[in-house]
Amino acid sequence: MSGASCKANGAVYPASSAMMNSVKKPKMEQIQADHELFLQAFEKPTQIYRFLRTRNLIAPVFLHRTLTFMSHRNGRTNAKRKTFKVDDMLQTVERMKGEVNLPLFIPSQNSENEQNSVSLEVLLVKVCHKKRKDVSCPIKQVPTGKKQVPLNPDSNQTKPGSHPSLLVSSNEFEPSNSHMVKSYSLLFRVSRTGRRDTNGLVNGEANENIDVTDTPSRKKRSSSHRDEGETTETFVAQMTVFDKNRRLQLLDGEYEVSMQGMEDSPVSKKRATWETILDGKRLPPFETFSQGPTLQFMLRWTGDASGKSTAPVAKPLATRNSESSSPMETRTSNHRAALMTVKESVSTDIQTRKEQVLCEPRQKLRIFYQFLYNNNTRQQTEARDDLHCPWCTLNCSKLYSLLKHLKLSHSRFIFNYVPHPKGARIDVSINECYDGSYVGNPQDIHSQPGFAFSRNGPVKRTAVTHILVCRPKRTKPSLSEFLESEDGELEQQRTYVSGHNRLYFHSDSCMPLRPQEMEEDSEDERDPEWLREKTATQLDEFTDVNEGEKEVMKLWNLHVMKYGFIADNQMNQAIMLFAENTGAHIIRRNLCRNFLLHLVSMHDFNLVSTATIDRAMARLRQIQEELPDIEEEQQDQTVVSAGACNGNAVTSTGGKQGKRTKSALTD
Amino acid sequence: MFNTNRQKIMDRTDILNQEWKTRRIQPVHIMTSVGSLRGTREVIPLKTLNAVASVPVMYSWSPLQQNFMVEDETVLHNIPYMGDEILDQDGTFIEELIKNYDGKVHGDRECGFINDEIFVELVSALSQYSDNEDDEEEEEHDFKVEKMELCEGKEHPEDPPALISLSVCLSVCLSVRYKELTEQQLPGALPPECTPNIDGPNARSVQREQSLHSFHTLFCRRCFKYDCFLHPFHATPNTYKRKNLENQVDTKPCGLDCYMYLVQVSQRSFIHSFIKYHSSVNCCSPSSVSVFTIFTSIKQMGGKNSSFVRGNSRCQTPVKMKLTGEAEAVEWSGAEASLFRVLIGTYYDNFCAIARLIGTKTCRQVYEFRVKESSIIARAPAEDEDTPPRKKKRKHRLWATHCRKIQLKKDGSSNHVYNYQPCDHPRQPCDSSCPCVTAQNFCEKFCQCSSECQNRFPGCRCKAQCNTKQCPCYLAVRECDPDLCLTCGAADHWDSKNVSCKNCSIQRGAKKHLLLAPSDVAGWGIFIKEPVQKNEFISEYCGEIISQDEADRRGKVYDKYMCSFLFNLNNDFVVDATRKGNKIRFANHSVNPNCYAKVMMVNGDHRIGIFAKRAIQTGEELFFDYR
Repeated sequence: MSGASCKANGAVYPASSAMMNSVKKPKMEQIQADHELFLQAFEKPTQIYRFLRTRNLIAPVFLHRTLTFMSHRNGRTNAKRKTFKVDDMLQTVERMKGEVNLPLFIPSQNSENEQNSVSLEVLLVKVCHKKRKDVSCPIKQVPTGKKQVPLNPDSNQTKPGSHPSLLVSSNEFEPSNSHMVKSYSLLFRVSRTGRRDTNGLVNGEANENIDVTDTPSRKKRSSSHRDEGETTETFVAQMTVFDKNRRLQLLDGEYEVSMQGMEDSPVSKKRATWETILDGKRLPPFETFSQGPTLQFMLRWTGDASGKSTAPVAKPLATRNSESSSPMETRTSNHRAALMTVKESVSTDIQTRKEQVLCEPRQKLRIFYQFLYNNNTRQQTEARDDLHCPWCTLNCSKLYSLLKHLKLSHSRFIFNYVPHPKGARIDVSINECYDGSYVGNPQDIHSQPGFAFSRNGPVKRTAVTHILVCRPKRTKPSLSEFLESEDGELEQQRTYVSGHNRLYFHSDSCMPLRPQEMEEDSEDERDPEWLREKTATQLDEFTDVNEGEKEVMKLWNLHVMKYGFIADNQMNQAIMLFAENTGAHIIRRNLCRNFLLHLVSMHDFNLVSTATIDRAMARLRQIQEELPDIEEEQQDQTVVSAGACNGNAVTSTGGKQGKRTKSALTD
Repeated sequence: MFNTNRQKIMDRTDILNQEWKTRRIQPVHIMTSVGSLRGTREVIPLKTLNAVASVPVMYSWSPLQQNFMVEDETVLHNIPYMGDEILDQDGTFIEELIKNYDGKVHGDRECGFINDEIFVELVSALSQYSDNEDDEEEEEHDFKVEKMELCEGKEHPEDPPALISLSVCLSVCLSVRYKELTEQQLPGALPPECTPNIDGPNARSVQREQSLHSFHTLFCRRCFKYDCFLHPFHATPNTYKRKNLENQVDTKPCGLDCYMYLVQVSQRSFIHSFIKYHSSVNCCSPSSVSVFTIFTSIKQMGGKNSSFVRGNSRCQTPVKMKLTGEAEAVEWSGAEASLFRVLIGTYYDNFCAIARLIGTKTCRQVYEFRVKESSIIARAPAEDEDTPPRKKKRKHRLWATHCRKIQLKKDGSSNHVYNYQPCDHPRQPCDSSCPCVTAQNFCEKFCQCSSECQNRFPGCRCKAQCNTKQCPCYLAVRECDPDLCLTCGAADHWDSKNVSCKNCSIQRGAKKHLLLAPSDVAGWGIFIKEPVQKNEFISEYCGEIISQDEADRRGKVYDKYMCSFLFNLNNDFVVDATRKGNKIRFANHSVNPNCYAKVMMVNGDHRIGIFAKRAIQTGEELFFDYR
């Protein structure tokens, strides 16, 4: 029941239960079968998303806080960057050195005012290994200090440094005498004497804060504790420092611990649940923070003298695997049970706490998840004041962010937002169009076969140039974008992500296109190599065309193919370019007269003017003069090249003799 | 052995890892040590490679950006393999296929085992072993017998069946044949019809037509290429008329030795008087009339005007005398003479220019040679006298009728579109007998008819983008002709893609960047890299141009393969992108496509353009309706 799986809970709260009673039995069966199908349909994606959530926690692919619609999750600002200097880093380090080098604990004296302060005792609890004779684990409690801490202080007034602080020596964590210590935990005991403030009564709840160092600790008291007598109330809370695997559980940070009355003091491990029992009723885990008393404190490990064992090496998530189940919850813990169901149970409490709800400072936003299957509402689940994603328990803090997250991260479902007087209704249905196709960077799959999704650490990937700073014009976030579109069908069918979300291939080799090859179109040449070769061989096949003509024709064909001339009026330009590009070659191969014949022929076709012939030949002469020692070798070359030409022509046409004649073409 | 191999692998890996370390790439792990092969347990790190999805089948094809015309295949090139099942099931299919080609399949030699090539090779190989002629004869004789045995029952071109055992006769036949074949291959020896290379040592003095014959016959006036891939029949230029007489005689002598000094002295007075007369009779501008035109026309007009006959005879005699007196004995090589004849047909009597182009002779020598050759040289064509200068008004009227005609054509005619072939019917207007008219095509700039032909498309005069039916080109499903449409920008900005005219994309090859990937539908698909607007040009559908008959034959095979790249171009031809094509061939069929195909007349050729039917986003797959 405690949030083990959505599906299980889904079965508990069928929205159509009322309807089910009214219909007759044969229909009942059908409905049940339908319901079974509904559950099956939702089970698979839900399980997938739960798995992905876990994987993302262990090895995140990205951080949610970097997403634009989750910017509020990013606690720090970049404001400091503007004024940042390297020297500042040194100062920070120096300041840190000044700290005491033992675990420092902080609640302490501020005022002895009876109304405004309570006494806090912190004990270090060591659970030792059982010895043969022991029935249960020997437990040692070492008091570390007792301080008066303010109750419900005004957070504005408290100054840093004025808070009481406590110190726990690292020696305490050393293996001690006879007993092997299994785990260490901190036990907070807050005792308060005297009558309750009338104020508290009026409010139905007193907001009392315990001030601890930087962070004020707030202690809320349930209104049900309205015992009038001069009794001493004691609240306790326990937090594990090292679990039995000697893993550090408490890292530096601010903590808020919910306290429990002494009578139902720390639940023993065997009964560990995620729920807290308050006033004999089960409270969902996070309700304790808004309903019950809490203690805020800041914890800092100082120095590294405490040795390796205490060094805060454990990843935050390591806690997830720890077997020690402390009954308390910390905000750092990533455990969040499926909230939608848990919240449901809250509604039962609603009667008893009506007055609280009324005077609650912020209004609770209710979100109704309505699960649709076959266009029928199958289940409605309400989440109250809870903007966590039901599938990955990510706290989205805002309705817009939640919707955006749902839509982008859980595309196996279709989410439609419907405004609701009490908050929002989200219609959840299965996305039939979801095809599971990969929508990430396609290069990741192919560029590094085997390494692509290596989770063994950073791996060098093929270099991809991305624009790092991109500020697209974003439309103002508006909930209206999640409303069901009127002509929605087409929109739904198209993948939500557009762009190049697939891997492309070279059309010639079928090899994957590497990212750096995206830009140029390798297969778009006007003159692919085979075509250049083809035009040459085709001309070579002629038996009644001499080798000089062939050579000029080939040169010209390649020239035209390269530049792709299409108009008559380009020809003058084309000729000049031809002379420019191939002039030297023509001279070296001794083809000037053939070149001239070509020009004259072009003129006969009305494509060039005589002026162009003149200019082209003048350019050729000019190139000839610029060519080094062409004059001296001219004569030899004439003979050699002509001979070579002939030889070439013969060898190249040897096998194709008699294949084609130009005269056959004109017939 | 194993250990040495092992050592090699280790070394290589070390080198690789060293290199990768510098590039920070995850190193390769190989099992650390094998040690002894016996007894010890060996540990090998297991590396799993991610599965890579296989790509769809692709049959090889050649990239092409312009259509390529191929002839009909007379033999079946290969018997298509479609898997054993199909062959078993449907044996008749292959038979029918072979029947389509009259039973000819590639590889069946028509003349037994030995063709000319093999024969020559064989003989020359055998002749190495014999020193004298007799031996060779014998060898050939033996060989012949062998051959007879080999090609038993098969007809051989060199051995008529009548000669059964007359091996002596045969050997003589063969030796003759061998000599024929080998003589052809002697270096430098060319078939008699081939003009020798004008730049080569064997250049001969030939007539102009002969010198230019290759260039004229092989040049494609439509592709600007020699022996182009697209147009099998080329028109020779001799019927092309000169648009304007651009020959201008250099008015200034080119140097001290210029021929003009020769002519000037004796003829100045005469020429002036002649030009006066000539311009009064004819409306030629004096500058455009060449000196030799004058001479020749004088000769012709002799009958008309007796005074000119007298003038002619009176004047020419001294000139001739003078020339013969001064002429130096200059040796004209064959190449120079040929070149001269070529150039005189273009430059007429601009001897300075001719001399400049020949390069090895002065203009005086050229002039003298000209005089010697005067009998055979054509005169410059006179201006067309039968076309009176046209008024602009008439032109406009012509254009208006054209627009009407286009409209009519569009409404009236059926869907039959015929291939365009430039018309060539000298001295006959383009009437109902003109092939262009009968095929309901416009005459193009490639036609031999006059530029005033009624059937010519006049081009557009748009100043806009030519992408609405306001543009007559667009209306006639033609791309703007850069030689006709001079205002829309189709003739500007050759090197940039920014052309104001949007109706010239196919000819310019302004295609979009396409990317190939496995399709979301079937097989391969083609995806667009950048978003496009509605009606924007995406790519031309290129391929082999084959006849309808050939398409029928090929289509049979393609239908069996369930994969066809055939695309009807017009009534005569089909584009087949199976063997040659461009990437758009991978676009799949859809009944709800995002592209459409349009066959357009592009500078005389029908070409298939693929256009966007709606706005298309980045990375979308392209589809068009095949039907």
